[in-house]
Amino acid sequence: MLLEVFLVLGTLLIYFLFSKKDEETLPFKDGWWGRGQKPVTKEDSSIRPFKVETAEEELSDLFRRLDQARFTEPLENSFFHYGTNSVHLRKVVSYWKNQFNWKKQVEVLNNYPQFKTKIQGIDIHFVHVKPPCLPEGQAAKPLLMVHGWPGSFYEFYKIIPLLTDPASHGLGDEHIFEVICPSIPGYGFSEAPHKKDFNSVSAASVFYELMLRLGFSEFYTQGGDCGWLICTNLAQIAPSHVKGLHLNMVLVTKLGLSHLLSILLGRYFPGLFGFQDEDVRRMFPFLKKWLHKILSEFGYAHIQTTKPDTVGCGLNDSPVGLAAYILEKFSSWTDMEFQNLEDGGLERKFSLDDLLTNIMIYWVSGCIVSSMRFYKENLQKGIGTQKHDKLTVQVPTGIAAFPNEILHIPQAWAKKKYTNIVSFHFMPRGGHFAAFEEPELLAKDILQFVDKVEKEQLWKKKGE
Amino acid sequence: MWRETLPNAWSFDYSQKNAVLVPVAALGVGGMLLYWLRSGRKIKTIDMGEGWWGAGERPPKGKEDTSIRPFKIETSDKEIEDLHQRLDRFRFTPSVEGAAFHYGFNSSYLRKVVAYWRNQFDWRKQVEVLNKYPHFHTTIEGIDIHFIHVKPSYVPHGQAVRPLLMVHGWPGSFYEFYKIIPLLTEPAKHGLNEGDVVFEVICPSIPGYGFSEAPHQKEFDSIATARIFHKLMNRLGFKEYYLQGGDWGARITTNMAQMLPQSVKGLHLNVVFVTLEGLGKVISIMLGAYVPWLVGFSREDARRLYPFMQKNIYDVLRESGYLHIQATKPDTAGCGLNDSPVGLAAYIMEKFSTWTDKSFLHKDDGGLESKYSLDELLTNVMIYWVTSSIVSSMRYYKENFSKDPNIHNRVGVYVPTGIAAFPQELLHAPRVWAKDVYKNIITYTYMPRGGHFAAFEEPKLLAQDIMQFVRKVEQL
Repeated sequence: MLLEVFLVLGTLLIYFLFSKKDEETLPFKDGWWGRGQKPVTKEDSSIRPFKVETAEEELSDLFRRLDQARFTEPLENSFFHYGTNSVHLRKVVSYWKNQFNWKKQVEVLNNYPQFKTKIQGIDIHFVHVKPPCLPEGQAAKPLLMVHGWPGSFYEFYKIIPLLTDPASHGLGDEHIFEVICPSIPGYGFSEAPHKKDFNSVSAASVFYELMLRLGFSEFYTQGGDCGWLICTNLAQIAPSHVKGLHLNMVLVTKLGLSHLLSILLGRYFPGLFGFQDEDVRRMFPFLKKWLHKILSEFGYAHIQTTKPDTVGCGLNDSPVGLAAYILEKFSSWTDMEFQNLEDGGLERKFSLDDLLTNIMIYWVSGCIVSSMRFYKENLQKGIGTQKHDKLTVQVPTGIAAFPNEILHIPQAWAKKKYTNIVSFHFMPRGGHFAAFEEPELLAKDILQFVDKVEKEQLWKKKGE
Repeated sequence: MWRETLPNAWSFDYSQKNAVLVPVAALGVGGMLLYWLRSGRKIKTIDMGEGWWGAGERPPKGKEDTSIRPFKIETSDKEIEDLHQRLDRFRFTPSVEGAAFHYGFNSSYLRKVVAYWRNQFDWRKQVEVLNKYPHFHTTIEGIDIHFIHVKPSYVPHGQAVRPLLMVHGWPGSFYEFYKIIPLLTEPAKHGLNEGDVVFEVICPSIPGYGFSEAPHQKEFDSIATARIFHKLMNRLGFKEYYLQGGDWGARITTNMAQMLPQSVKGLHLNVVFVTLEGLGKVISIMLGAYVPWLVGFSREDARRLYPFMQKNIYDVLRESGYLHIQATKPDTAGCGLNDSPVGLAAYIMEKFSTWTDKSFLHKDDGGLESKYSLDELLTNVMIYWVTSSIVSSMRYYKENFSKDPNIHNRVGVYVPTGIAAFPQELLHAPRVWAKDVYKNIITYTYMPRGGHFAAFEEPKLLAQDIMQFVRKVEQL
């Protein structure tokens, strides 16, 4: 009799312990983001080829604004400590006027096939690159890669060939991908939502519809920055469709007592909190690497979350202002030490052509304001307050932790949210814009992750 | 017990040593007591220090040019045409439906503002308005300081003229004082026959703002500003003066009072900065909601402070994005604004909306024209535009927030202080909290209406409060 009682109690206990983790799926968020009322007629779901275009007028308007830019002299010896240094900015603008060839860059952008399709009332832009050749009997694996702010689909241009044609780049041919890189609504060539409340769950729902429309019922997703959040939400909405989730950035929004303890004591008893040596190296001293950094680097997030239309207004009117605002992130988020350099270390990891092409995408599409609104729609109620913050992710997850990422989240913390971490690697170099800066490192990590998932058929194991 | 020992101490049974020791000890204790009492009274001040803000190295001991040079604001066809071209080619972004001012400056209303600016706003006329008061420049610590100096045109017999330094803030300028100045220099003419004091008003521009040169060196903060403004008043021949300020002006004038209290006859503020730290504050916040009288809150204090989280945490977080980015990346934040006049107008005028009345967030036009005219608002914006001072004005945030902000609060303010607490001010400071820093509050008034830009929005109310404060001080 006692044994039965214990068994029952034991089962109940185990049940409660295990079901503490919220394995609910996130509901799909339907919406209508077009202008005015949703029409009664069925939405046009055709997929239309798209090409980026430019015109003389666009260029001459840009040049006029660059010519008439009004700069403010920096303080003596301020480097990049006060933000983008205007002496260096002048040099960038001079290159932009005299050497940067936008027509040529547009051709570069058009190298990959681009499309538009209407979903939930707005035109979604995406790049869709299929492998040039597939070995006999092999199918291409669909991979959705989502950019962030202030990036764009263009960040993936160097990594795409490594994933669609890995063999030509010395990466083997076991896993070949067809890559889909959409632009988040409100960014680049995707239409901006006309209604309030378009957040990461909305974006994830739209991209989910996109993948279904393209005929994919199972796919991988990859993302960093906003892409991290959108891909995470997608994995929460449709876990049976997402074979694997690969991230180059992770943030945790629920900090509890265990986190606090690990912050206070983790440096001295790393093992106790599941920290590896590299975790300790990247996280401590805590004040400097976390608190101070958050205060000094997140002003943009604070103002974009509260007054996006105000802060974006001037940036949509002054290309130089836009460049200063965006370039500052490509400097400090690639390496915080770059702030001590007169040129912000900008050209150490990127070419000016690449940096300016990304900026031009914001400029020619006039999307800076709508890109900033995404912050308000996601964070206005506070950090960690949304439903998706409280739900976990059971989809097989791979994390590439780059050393110069803004904030380092150890696996010990990440696994509370991502309950099925298949790979977690400390990358040897690189910062926030991983695909842009270290495409080969990132591609390798994606490949080894997919390899694990495929070999162990891990996507079938989840849910058991 | 001492009843037994004392007679013994004084009896001849004790050695001579004790007879000497006791009085010496008494003297010692008395002396210490006296010293402690005195040092409690001794006022701590902020060290004046010194500085050099000009370009390059400070020149070797040469005498600085201390001349005071008259100055007139000028404009040109070229300046106006450049502005018009930029207004014409502004690129709008439509707002999301139903946004009002919740996402920042509403773009539909902005279009109307730009149309007015382009077609009706007359900058030449506004320049004449600006020049109606005498302007001057003088070089202090290597940079040109701009100020207006308005004397009463007529002083009735027996009336004293007191110098009054009024300091603006961000995103304001000396222009904010244009409506209040005549009420202070000629109160009788404006129906304010209060007391027998009239003022001569000096309104400088903070270095880096408007027509004052921007510092070329790092670390130009409110202490440096306070010192420079003391030097300015000294150069103008004033030994004792009144101070008035809000926003940065409140911090600067407070520092001035902490630095040279003997020169400050009275300090009048329409903004008081309080820090919410310290267990005492936390307790008074928690108890104040239920028993305000127990923690020294008046009913009006309670009305303005609660609900606490909403008014003091949530609202402040919503309104302080600009502060966060300006205190960390001013050169980035200001770059585009110095290049796009419309961007600059949206950024600045958003504050004139929300900081005047929080409910204006719900209005499609931000309620701007219910309290100000477009001419006034645009004139203030133009001061930032024609002087290209937006970036240097933002750097002031970084220079001031990089250091421990409480260093000022630990040094008290002992000069007679008057506080005008406006109802729509972002953060309300009850008198009981203000007393932590301002030890000598002579007047504390709950103003009936008005927000952050008090002098601009409610000049008469502010003037009346300044005058009743000064009257009380003069009677001390």
